[in-house]
Amino acid sequence: MQFSENLRIGIKSILVHKLRSFLTTLGVIFGVAAVISMLSIGEGAKREAVEQIKLLGTNNIRVNQLKLTGEQAEEAEQKNSRGLTYRDGQLIRENLPSVKGVTPVRFVETEIMLGNKESNGRVVGTDETYQWVTNFHPSEGRFIGALDVAEAKRVCVIGSEIRSELFGYRNPVGRRIRIGDTWFVVIGVMEAKTVKEGKASVIKLRNINKDVYIPITTALKRYTDEDRPNAVEEIAIQVEKEDQVVPTSEVVKRLLNRTHNGVNDYEIIIPAELLAQSQKTQRVFNIVMGSIAAISLLVGGIGIMNIMLASVTERTKEIGTRRALGATERDILGQFLNETIMISVTGGTIGIILGVVMAKAINLFAGWETVISLFSVVISFGISALVGIVFGIYPARQAAKMDPIAALRFE
Amino acid sequence: MLVEVKELRREYVMGETVVKALRGVSLNVEKGEFLAIMGPSGSGKSTLMHLLGCLDRPSGGTYSLDGTPVEKLDDVELSRLRNRKVGFVFQAFNLIMQLTVVENVEVPLIYMGIERAQRRELCLEMLKAVGLGHRPNHRPNELSGGENQRVAIARALVTKPQIIFADEPTGNLDTKTGHEIMEILQGLNAKGTTVVLVTHEMNKAKWARRLIHMQDGKILRQLVGKEIQQLKDLFQEMPEA
Ligand SMILES: Nc1ncnc2c1ncn2[C@@H]1O[C@H](COP(=O)(O)OP(=O)(O)OP(=O)(O)O)[C@@H](O)[C@H]1O
Ligand SMILES: [Mg+2]
Repeated sequence: MQFSENLRIGIKSILVHKLRSFLTTLGVIFGVAAVISMLSIGEGAKREAVEQIKLLGTNNIRVNQLKLTGEQAEEAEQKNSRGLTYRDGQLIRENLPSVKGVTPVRFVETEIMLGNKESNGRVVGTDETYQWVTNFHPSEGRFIGALDVAEAKRVCVIGSEIRSELFGYRNPVGRRIRIGDTWFVVIGVMEAKTVKEGKASVIKLRNINKDVYIPITTALKRYTDEDRPNAVEEIAIQVEKEDQVVPTSEVVKRLLNRTHNGVNDYEIIIPAELLAQSQKTQRVFNIVMGSIAAISLLVGGIGIMNIMLASVTERTKEIGTRRALGATERDILGQFLNETIMISVTGGTIGIILGVVMAKAINLFAGWETVISLFSVVISFGISALVGIVFGIYPARQAAKMDPIAALRFE
Repeated sequence: MLVEVKELRREYVMGETVVKALRGVSLNVEKGEFLAIMGPSGSGKSTLMHLLGCLDRPSGGTYSLDGTPVEKLDDVELSRLRNRKVGFVFQAFNLIMQLTVVENVEVPLIYMGIERAQRRELCLEMLKAVGLGHRPNHRPNELSGGENQRVAIARALVTKPQIIFADEPTGNLDTKTGHEIMEILQGLNAKGTTVVLVTHEMNKAKWARRLIHMQDGKILRQLVGKEIQQLKDLFQEMPEA
């Protein structure tokens, strides 16, 4: 018998008991919704990580200063490690001629003023390579140059939001702003860059549109930290090709291990690892959602099976009649299996819709990025069909194996 | 010969007890016959009908339908035979409640693999033939008993079967409607379809040209033509169900 006939028969008998069919599908609905929202969160986190990687640059290695506490801090003191320093950057540059650029980044905690106007931006000391490593360029004026760094000049490049905060629509290039106690000449404005502040992120992204860049040398000289002179928060290392990232990071690790006397007061981040890390943070969530999904699918499946068994008994006479009219065992099996699959797939479809709504809600209320992928929709649909097959096969067999004579006598 | 039955037996095993529903029935039915089967309740009439209609398999004996030995067929072959060569009419009509009248008539054609459009056409035609051409989209529960049985007959006929098995088709109907149903069966037979009718009513049996009297799973006697018409007295000996 043709599939379309089974479909038609199935729709008819499902519509006879609309409420019952709907209640039967609830388990599948929630199970599938859980699957969809779980996958959407995973996908969202992945996309966020990919975005970060892009921001970081696939050819970049980032070395971050780690804040040590308690015993670790004591150990660092004993072993005479002074944290990540400008000197580390220079060492990397000297020892690894293959790297394309080594960019130090130092954050300076101080105020940014224009007249009486204060901006809550962030002062970042770096050098000329920064714009290439981060692929982030000025839209007006120029970036810090090698000479500015060499001579520790008092020049700065401001982010697009700082510019509108302090200058409005006036041209800031050539004007002076006060950073801490020192006056700086604005030499450029950075292009505006959209930055999504992800919640599930591994690395914290600051709003780089609020950065004010000054030469690293100026930052070290004018805003000295007594405890940690020459300290930097970050060193970004750029290599020529992607496949050099891992070997280079290993060499860097060995080098820093030596200069830091074995103290782990820094972390080395390579882009490819970001993804793995974000997936690691997702794991607990996935286990919880996965269990909810599995349990509701199981309960839903059993519910469907239960209803189908009742339906088979209820329709004994119909089965006998169909057999008398020429239906084979396979026809009957197909009819009931098809009906079960239709119920669960209908539930699956509703579940997909509910899951999409849930993903949107999670995005709205929890702020997590969620992405509904075609894959997740397909897989959910597949799962619901599978539930139909697994839990439908037994009732369908019961129907098919029914003795036609006994079925006809049934009242 | 359309139906050739030799020493057909059917036993139902229910735990310890064995119910012998048929204890060796031999019977031939020719093409175009109108055969009636009578007998007390439990004498094995329905059991015989089911066997003849290829719905059931005998415990012993042989049966060939239109030259095909039936005992050896598997489920698919048996179903196919039932679908193409046999039409059933039941006492309780056995229409499927969630389907409309015309959809009910379509059921055997679905299993035959006929296309939807063609199927619909054939069924509407058949409904017209039984006098229900104007109500194809009604549900069975919106129709009277007699009308339901007409639908069932249309369903039995739509595959153009060689033989119709009607098991007490008028049992649930009043005298007048029952008569109308008998007229339809008679008309069918006149056009060449073989009819086997199980009935408890003598006046219905009289439509047949041959009568088989069953008792305790056996054929007690056979009567033909005039013998049936004279039977009034004889049947008073037969305990009614
Ligand atoms: N599935 C079954 N299991 C056990 N015994 C059965 C089964 N079907 C029929 N029987 C028995 O077989 C015998 C014949 O039954 P059958 O239905 O053929 O009688 P019948 O002549 O059609 O009776 P009625 O006139 O009441 O319809 C009865 O004794 C019945 O109880
Ligand atoms: Mg009977």
